[in-house]
Amino acid sequence: MEDFVYFFTFQDPSIAWVVLGITLLGVGSAYVGTFSFLDKKALLGDAISHAVLPGICLGFMVAGEKNPVYIVSGAFLSGAVATFMSSWLKRNTKLSEDTIIATILSVFFGFGIVLLTALQKSGNPEIAGLNSFIFGNAIGISEADLMLYGGLSLVIILVLTILLKEFRLMVFDPEYGKAIGFPMKSISFLFNVLMILAVVIGIQAIGVVLMAALLITPGAAARFWTDRLNPLLILAALFSVLSGILGTYVSFVLPQMPTGPWVVVFLSLFALISFLISPKSGIIFRYFARRKYLRKTHRDHLMKALYKAKENGKSGLTIAEIYQLYPYQKAATNHSISGLSKNNFIATNQSLISLTESGISEGMRIVRLHRLWELYLNESMNIAPDHVHDSAEKLEHLITPELEALLEKRLNYPALDPHQETIPRENHDLR
Amino acid sequence: MITQVENPILEIHDLTVSYDQNPVLWNVDLSLPAGNLVGILGPNGAGKSTLIKAIMGLIAPTSGFVKVFDKPLNEVRSRISYVPQRESVDWNFPASVLDVVMMGTYGKLGLFRRPGKKEKDLAMKSLEQVGMSGFVGRQISELSGGQQQRVFIARALAQEADLYLMDEPFAGVDMSTETAIFHLLQEMTAAGKTVIVVHHDIHSAMNFFDWLIMLNLHLVASGPKELVMNEDMLRKTYGGKLNLLTRVTDLIRQKDFNPLKS
Repeated sequence: MEDFVYFFTFQDPSIAWVVLGITLLGVGSAYVGTFSFLDKKALLGDAISHAVLPGICLGFMVAGEKNPVYIVSGAFLSGAVATFMSSWLKRNTKLSEDTIIATILSVFFGFGIVLLTALQKSGNPEIAGLNSFIFGNAIGISEADLMLYGGLSLVIILVLTILLKEFRLMVFDPEYGKAIGFPMKSISFLFNVLMILAVVIGIQAIGVVLMAALLITPGAAARFWTDRLNPLLILAALFSVLSGILGTYVSFVLPQMPTGPWVVVFLSLFALISFLISPKSGIIFRYFARRKYLRKTHRDHLMKALYKAKENGKSGLTIAEIYQLYPYQKAATNHSISGLSKNNFIATNQSLISLTESGISEGMRIVRLHRLWELYLNESMNIAPDHVHDSAEKLEHLITPELEALLEKRLNYPALDPHQETIPRENHDLR
Repeated sequence: MITQVENPILEIHDLTVSYDQNPVLWNVDLSLPAGNLVGILGPNGAGKSTLIKAIMGLIAPTSGFVKVFDKPLNEVRSRISYVPQRESVDWNFPASVLDVVMMGTYGKLGLFRRPGKKEKDLAMKSLEQVGMSGFVGRQISELSGGQQQRVFIARALAQEADLYLMDEPFAGVDMSTETAIFHLLQEMTAAGKTVIVVHHDIHSAMNFFDWLIMLNLHLVASGPKELVMNEDMLRKTYGGKLNLLTRVTDLIRQKDFNPLKS
């Protein structure tokens, strides 16, 4: 708890610096990553983040120490070589994109590990810090390094903000962009540069292996919540920044803990929560929506059965008769009965269940929709009378009053369905 | 049956277009007068969309050139509006109807500048013209195919161009909407604009177009509707691919280079 207060009150200026750096880094990478996610280029980010490792090692070798400028430049260059190699291969060979990306990723990362191992064997005392580039260590970053990474993040954020409309066009409809004379090739070149930069800024805090997650996961998680680009970008940045700060906190409390994996743990948590509970597209919401609909269909069918009993001159159905109609669904049937009683559609008299006044109207409406649809299928779509029932059984729950009016008009207010049964209306003699 | 005109708004000179090295349009040579509603007709794979894309400079021609308003394309792009096929984009992109129509104003805005009130008004006006005012804030994936098509047309209108090129704008559109859009296009041509439409229904083509271009890998006909719409031309357009031409194309495809490239 003491640690928590100490960390989140930012008394320690070095913690405040790290948090500021992580915030900028999170916003920048989520921003770029959301565009690449929308452009269906998620794997490219993964390839680039693995491909910067040889550049980091070469930068270290050239500088002979952990000089951030050399390391960032090396990482950027090897990321750039990988990106442009993959687009060159795509243009000039018949290999598919996933093959190219998988190859580039493993070749570059493999080469990087070879260099790293060679460096570790060299006995250079500076080498200890180099391991943190694999899984990241936000707490160990010096202020000078932070200035560099934070500055690069700011550049990314600025460029994307200024060129928001151009990048929107690049993802949604690049051909149209070309048609109105925008330099789409330069715009997507610039985007690739930003993408590499976004990986490079995260190498020390998050590490090369997991940087791809920080690019793609925030946008993917945010997509569950919104259908607009601006809120999507803001929400993705928020997820990313929160995960970044929480991950840094864990590395602060447990100094042996690398930051990257913890950031990814928190990000995945946000993604999982979004997947489960977001309205409209979350699975829990979808489950309840579906269950609600199934219950409605069950109630509708029960109303229809009661109405048909009335058509046959019975005043209602006994509970035993109703259970027999829906074998093995006793619980669902009970649920429907209590729901319908609450809506005052049915009344129970001892064990006999019958429709109330408003229940007759409602039952009649469902039967009418069923029979209208059967007639429509038969007359307008030439489907045989013995093949129309199943479709009507499903669509009677969906047809809106507007569609009903349209059906009535199209069929010219028919009296009988294809099975010669009356299509009931409010002035029907059952009343 | 190719009618050439004086002072054409669009001149296509001996244009050959290939995909990879596979020629899909052979030596098209035509010119169009201003203020007409022009239909491009032809069977599937006849090169209709290819012709439009070549006019817009989206595919580099193997040989030949295109001039619009008597100038090279890049000098007059802001006066030309393009409606791509509906399937060419991912409609799940997070955007509203208004967002997409606003893209029509990007060309005049140029790089870096952001759309403002004036652009928004223009987009709203364009949506009204295609009868989509009620859908301004709607997420584009929730629209029907015909509504998406109308959004694309509204985007083109927001460009306020003089020449419109539309690739299958009536695909997936119901009859009454098709007629309404045709009337809108006729109003535009009456106001002096030129509209070129890739189309597949010969019946409505007869009713609405002033000028017809008939394609079947080569240019079969280009001229006023009453001159070119006859049985002979239709047979040449729709009477199957030319066997000999297809065999030459196959021969070219087997080469490692494009022998047509000059």
